[in-house]
Amino acid sequence: MSSADLSPPTATSNSQTKPIRPTFSWLTDGRLSFLFVTPTLLILLFIAIYPLLWSLSASFTDRTLSQSGDITYIGTDNYQELLTEDRPWERFVVTGQIVGFSVLFELIIGFGIAMLLNRKFAGRSIMMTMMLIPMMLSPVVVALFWRFMMQGDGVFNYYVNDVLGFDSILWLSDRRIIPWAVILVDVWMWTPFMMLISLAGLSAVPKYLYEAAEVDRAGAWFRFRHITLPIVSPLLMIGIIFRTMDAYKMIDIIFVLVGDRGGSGRAAQTAGLYVYDIAFKNFDTGLGSAYGYIMLVVIIALANLLIRQLNSMKGQP
Amino acid sequence: MAEVTLNNITKEFDGGVVAVKDLSLSITDGEFLVLLGPSGCGKTTTLRMIAGLDTQTRGDIFIGERRVNELRAGDRDIAFVFQFYALYPHLTVWDNISFPLRAQNLPQNEVAKRVNEVATRLRISHLLKKRPGRLPGGEQQRVALGRAMVRQPQVFLMDEPLTNLDASLRADMRTELKHLQQELATTMVYVTHDQIEAMSMSHRIAVLNLGVLQQVDTPLNIYRYPQTLFVATFIGSPPMNIIECSLQGDKLNGVNGHFDYTLTPESGFDTSESNSGYFGIRAEDIMLSAGDSEGDLRGEISIREPLGDETIYRVDIGAYQMTVKTSPKFVLSAGDRVSLTFNRKRIHLFDKITEQSLRTQEAVARV
Amino acid sequence: MQRASKITFWVSLLLVFFFFMFPLYWILISSFKTRADIVSTTPSYFPFVEFEPTLDNYLDVFVTRDQTSGDGSTVTASADVSQFRDRLINSIIITGASTALAVFVGTLTAYAVSRFTIPLEDDFMFFVLSTKMLPPIVVLIPVFVLFNNLGLRDSYHGLILLYTAFNLPFVVWIMKGFFDEIPREYEDAAMLDGYSRLQAIYKIVLPEAIPAMAATAVFSIIVSWNEFVLANFLNRDSAATVPPYLNSIIGVGAVEWGRLAAASVIYVLPVIIFTFLVRNHLLRGVTFGAVRR
Repeated sequence: MSSADLSPPTATSNSQTKPIRPTFSWLTDGRLSFLFVTPTLLILLFIAIYPLLWSLSASFTDRTLSQSGDITYIGTDNYQELLTEDRPWERFVVTGQIVGFSVLFELIIGFGIAMLLNRKFAGRSIMMTMMLIPMMLSPVVVALFWRFMMQGDGVFNYYVNDVLGFDSILWLSDRRIIPWAVILVDVWMWTPFMMLISLAGLSAVPKYLYEAAEVDRAGAWFRFRHITLPIVSPLLMIGIIFRTMDAYKMIDIIFVLVGDRGGSGRAAQTAGLYVYDIAFKNFDTGLGSAYGYIMLVVIIALANLLIRQLNSMKGQP
Repeated sequence: MAEVTLNNITKEFDGGVVAVKDLSLSITDGEFLVLLGPSGCGKTTTLRMIAGLDTQTRGDIFIGERRVNELRAGDRDIAFVFQFYALYPHLTVWDNISFPLRAQNLPQNEVAKRVNEVATRLRISHLLKKRPGRLPGGEQQRVALGRAMVRQPQVFLMDEPLTNLDASLRADMRTELKHLQQELATTMVYVTHDQIEAMSMSHRIAVLNLGVLQQVDTPLNIYRYPQTLFVATFIGSPPMNIIECSLQGDKLNGVNGHFDYTLTPESGFDTSESNSGYFGIRAEDIMLSAGDSEGDLRGEISIREPLGDETIYRVDIGAYQMTVKTSPKFVLSAGDRVSLTFNRKRIHLFDKITEQSLRTQEAVARV
Repeated sequence: MQRASKITFWVSLLLVFFFFMFPLYWILISSFKTRADIVSTTPSYFPFVEFEPTLDNYLDVFVTRDQTSGDGSTVTASADVSQFRDRLINSIIITGASTALAVFVGTLTAYAVSRFTIPLEDDFMFFVLSTKMLPPIVVLIPVFVLFNNLGLRDSYHGLILLYTAFNLPFVVWIMKGFFDEIPREYEDAAMLDGYSRLQAIYKIVLPEAIPAMAATAVFSIIVSWNEFVLANFLNRDSAATVPPYLNSIIGVGAVEWGRLAAASVIYVLPVIIFTFLVRNHLLRGVTFGAVRR
């Protein structure tokens, strides 16, 4: 309805008496984008690209840790050595086992906890903050104390032996159990991360979708599959990507738990630990760099796959 | 199809907020009832309690013969259309509409039959394979409707379904919804703050304010015989003219002077209990005549608003300003002196303290 | 029906809570136990009832004292005990500076990628992510050589720069997702009112972004605060941080569990406090723009 109002226009009450002078207007969007992006670019190039190139060139030499003496260019010998022997490949199997199960358990348990914490109850906020503490501790400390609890005469075996009456379990010496001990510690430390990410996703699902499903008499599984999961999965995927990359690089926990060779029979000697073995125990920097490079190629390929999966989850809902 | 009965429903939230106070309401089978009121009046809360999405603090709710207090939303045989449609974003329109049926494990061919029926009726058959996130508001609205209809519930509950549509679409959907309800003859409880929707679509309107039921009646009765000051001023555009006055027997005196009016016995008001009140008259129930001729009041034109099919005048009377609607042929200018005559049958009077109408029951019955 | 699900809820919640809190409790009470109590074959859990609590471990962290081992002979505590306080200060400086830098620079970058058209945007984001993929071992030696040549070893600047680089990817990814969710209209309105882009960012966008920045700060702090491998290698002689010190308590022979526990408790406290203060912002910030509203 348009009404011709004959009353005099009233002055708008919030007009400024002074015009605003834009400061820094000479910083156009183009210049700002340059200004904002370049520092990050430079820092990362410096810290990432430089070592990368250095390692690449080192991988083609027989360079040793001492750096004195001649460095001979030996071509692809290092790579040939690594790709034809069994041990390097086995390291990747071990890595796959540890990283795979760690991330899997962290995902399932973390998401489960998030679902529990998603309701309102007294003390929820405190409980959530306390649940985050495991990942705030120094990994060295965490691994040390778990080692203390899991060693032959430690707390775990106290209960297994003296209380339950079974034989002591060799948590850290039995080569079949060692990888699982490592997974246990990693899961304990990093599940809170997945929990946090899951909670963020869960709290973003609009409540009225659940109400509509309730009115429609949809069961709990139905609600989970068609409402919760589709909305939360991109975020879970991001959590998986970050956790996978971190678990892949992790060596300090294994180091402290079972020693720098990955325990008896190299049961937990992941690829990262193997690089340490080559470069610092055998002092072969060239070989170590080559293996490090192979590690890098593998994780880039994997990350690519995961990111593609992520984009398909985000892009086309 | 069923009646809905609310007995003494009260809803208190944590923190002491009382959203609904002692509400009792009977909705007959097949009726289109609108819960009308400004935001915060408790209409949506009431609707959600009928649905079972919120639980009342006190009181009983009956759907049909059953007392549904203990039943979950899914078990009450109701359908709910949300304000933001609440369509499942990752399912197609077909999946969205068939969702409630599949959740109840209906056989495949029955599901297909019902979905197609509903889609045809709502003219969305061509959208069945699309994802609702991509569709414009009006179509999303209809998908949400379809999902409700396909269940063939006893009662439809709708929470401001048209609020998020643009004006022209809203007008079309109003008519469509009204027809739909008549065809289906299902009880419908509809929440809105828009009085045009309420007046045009409903069989009866229940007006709420601050959690208290003000009045339940047909649109016309609500308009003609508002029972509280709130209803009188909330319904009607432009809003009813209200003048605060003192009451002595049948004499009214404006509190700010310039207003004297004597009630006639036929007007049907009982002023014995009150000595101050509010006088009300709608813009279209006042007659204007130019000059200082005989009339109830005298005043001066302040503003003229020609709307084409009618003209609205703001008239200054001492400290008051009254709004008068006239035919477009009646042309006056600002500053013109006029006299106003009230249609005796259309005046309203409310007690100052209780804000209830002082009209006697016989007067209302004499329609 | 309601009852049963409530019971399962509380049981599962408490089980999970117990699993994660038990080791923490263990570390906490160990910090108050004597060495004898810690290594004894029967574990004890309740202070005053099962063991006598002591503050000796906390003292040992800060002060050099003569210690008595279980059999009564005196053992002098290892020499680097008094370094804890210095290292703590270094950790605070290095973590604080690198976090502030990473959050500040990263947020600006994220804003640019979100709002402006950057050439090769997807590739840039992947590049940013890829720096997180480098195994520290691979990075270690070249960085060591580089820092050596540039005089960045044993300095604050070196580690600060390094940790900033470690945390930038996460900050950029989180903040970009966050900015993607804030409608551009806010800045557009401000610019229409006469503000420059920079003013609009400063007045409108940054205040909105503080919760998310707080969330990213938590993660950055955790990473920098506990970083061990590179800190151990690069900052040996000065500007040393706490994590290598914790590792040194392991020492040769017997581990001084009590002192380790006490040091760990002290070291984790600031992080817990910071996280607790910003806990309400954590969820809001961590969406990466993955969730469409």
